[in-house]
Amino acid sequence: MSEVAGAPAAVPAGPLATTVQEALVGLGGRPGVFKEMITVTVPRASGHDAARAAKEAGFDLLSDVLGIDWLNFPRHSGPRFSVVYNLYAIAANERIFIRIDLDDGESVATITDLWPGANFLEREVFDLFGVHFAGHPNLRKLITPEDLEGHALRKDFPLGETPTLFNDGRFLDPASFRAGMIGRSRGLTGWVGGARKGVVSEQVERPAATRADAADRKHES
Amino acid sequence: MTAKPAGSNAVAVATEHGAFETKHMRINVGPQHPSTHGVLRLVVDLDGERIVHIAPQIGYLHTGFEKTMEHRTYQQCITYTNRMDYVHSFAHDLAYVEGVERLMDSQVPIRAHRVRVILNELNRIASHLVFLGTGILDMGALTLFFYTMREREQILDLFEMVTGVRMNYGYFRVGGLYRDIPEGFEERVRAFLASFPAMMDQYAALFMKNDIFLSRTKGVGIIDAETALAHGLTGPSLRASGVPLDFRKAQPYAHYQDYAFDVITSETGDAYARFEGRFREMRESLRIVEQALDLLEPGPVQDPDRRISLPPRQELETSMEAVIFHFKLVTEGFHPPSGAVYVPTESARGELGYYLVSDGGSMPYRVKVRVPSLVNLQSLQPMCVGGLFADMVVNIASLDPVLGDVDK
Repeated sequence: MSEVAGAPAAVPAGPLATTVQEALVGLGGRPGVFKEMITVTVPRASGHDAARAAKEAGFDLLSDVLGIDWLNFPRHSGPRFSVVYNLYAIAANERIFIRIDLDDGESVATITDLWPGANFLEREVFDLFGVHFAGHPNLRKLITPEDLEGHALRKDFPLGETPTLFNDGRFLDPASFRAGMIGRSRGLTGWVGGARKGVVSEQVERPAATRADAADRKHES
Repeated sequence: MTAKPAGSNAVAVATEHGAFETKHMRINVGPQHPSTHGVLRLVVDLDGERIVHIAPQIGYLHTGFEKTMEHRTYQQCITYTNRMDYVHSFAHDLAYVEGVERLMDSQVPIRAHRVRVILNELNRIASHLVFLGTGILDMGALTLFFYTMREREQILDLFEMVTGVRMNYGYFRVGGLYRDIPEGFEERVRAFLASFPAMMDQYAALFMKNDIFLSRTKGVGIIDAETALAHGLTGPSLRASGVPLDFRKAQPYAHYQDYAFDVITSETGDAYARFEGRFREMRESLRIVEQALDLLEPGPVQDPDRRISLPPRQELETSMEAVIFHFKLVTEGFHPPSGAVYVPTESARGELGYYLVSDGGSMPYRVKVRVPSLVNLQSLQPMCVGGLFADMVVNIASLDPVLGDVDK
């Protein structure tokens, strides 16, 4: 047995995922593969049809429904939000991700009629991102308090700093404090420390053989 | 508990003594109640002793881990992952580092995988011990709780030996482990492996043939495979309904393919099957730990790739490059390529995975944790409706939710 085990083996896309991917392309979907993970981006109107097609093809377990806010994503163009269905086929042991892009104020058709288990998951996305699921039987907040305004996982949700007047007369202004945190300008400390966030490296995937001796080479960044 | 009539659910009942109206009663259970295993609150509509509707209300333990992790580097996030499911912490750490390692194409040394599996499986046993002790405590049997806690202490002692703490370990790192296991650890694990089966026999003698336990669990909270899948149930609870889904077998991670173990399933789908299944799973975990110990060979425990791992301490005194790498990794962290990954793993509660979105920066752009407890809670409705109120407590216990895992 070799000493180095390698990266966790990604399960390659199998025949079922490929078939469903083709069916979803027929619904107007755009497929994409990253690290052996198939994600098909379908138009908002055919989201429910796509989920139904996948379920009928054999993706019987709805693992997850998740939201993504692309507000600060570097070089992102297109709608601000995404809703991603994480589907797993038990018999075929395959996984597929169906992604629906939408803007603020638009809604997605609920899939609680296909999987009752989507109930909490869609409520969570509604709670944390403010994405509306049309036809959901009970679309209420799930985990944040009733009196919390806004949607906590949106990228423009304030991080909770309160304007503070200290005893020595020093005043902490949340806006400049936050600016220092995210690295857009010099904050309270005068150090642009947060610049690490949002730095897009132009790193390409290197072949494994050259990476093994990376320790001996100079760091390229 | 407060009780009030639930809306206009009046039902007219005619008997030989005359006609009268009954109303559904709405009862609030929790959030501060031992049988809810944390801060779970349930709003239950009752028709007499029978449950008509049950609605879990959650969020009392919401800590905003996902939001916080968007503002921490990939290595720093390990501080948060193990605090979600504080009963099976290593499963969360493992799911997270497996995800980042796939993102980074990290070359994890085989020894690190072995140690991870040993700790993860010991933690699974500890988690199942908490489940057994508290679950049977909910049915009024106090004794077993002390026995299971006794053995759990032994496991926590082993963890303390390796990680320095008894909970919230933070011992795994992207690319390997924080440090190697201490001397004498293997012997102590082997001693535990030798003593534990006798303890399990003791538990079995205490509850497996207990008449009260059997009548409280057999035929209670039955959920068939189709309903369970529709509600997203995974883990031992799903396997109790006859679906042999175990991601350690289905999509092996951390070299689980090297170990022989059985996936415990049962056909009945009742609370008894969920209790018994977890009990039998502990033996399988013992088998895995034993094999992992046999396969454990000396070697490095960290990816040598300097993009991920800190250089060895002694190199900092002689090598300028090592200092630079050290500085870059500590102040900035590493930059995975832009994209999203998801690695499903098997926690003691079910499918656990981290959906990580990277924008090429040194902090995750979005972290979504597929927590098993949250999704599993939805199965309470099909399990409990039509059953007795007292059985609801058994059903909650048999699902084994951890509220930190539910609320994140």
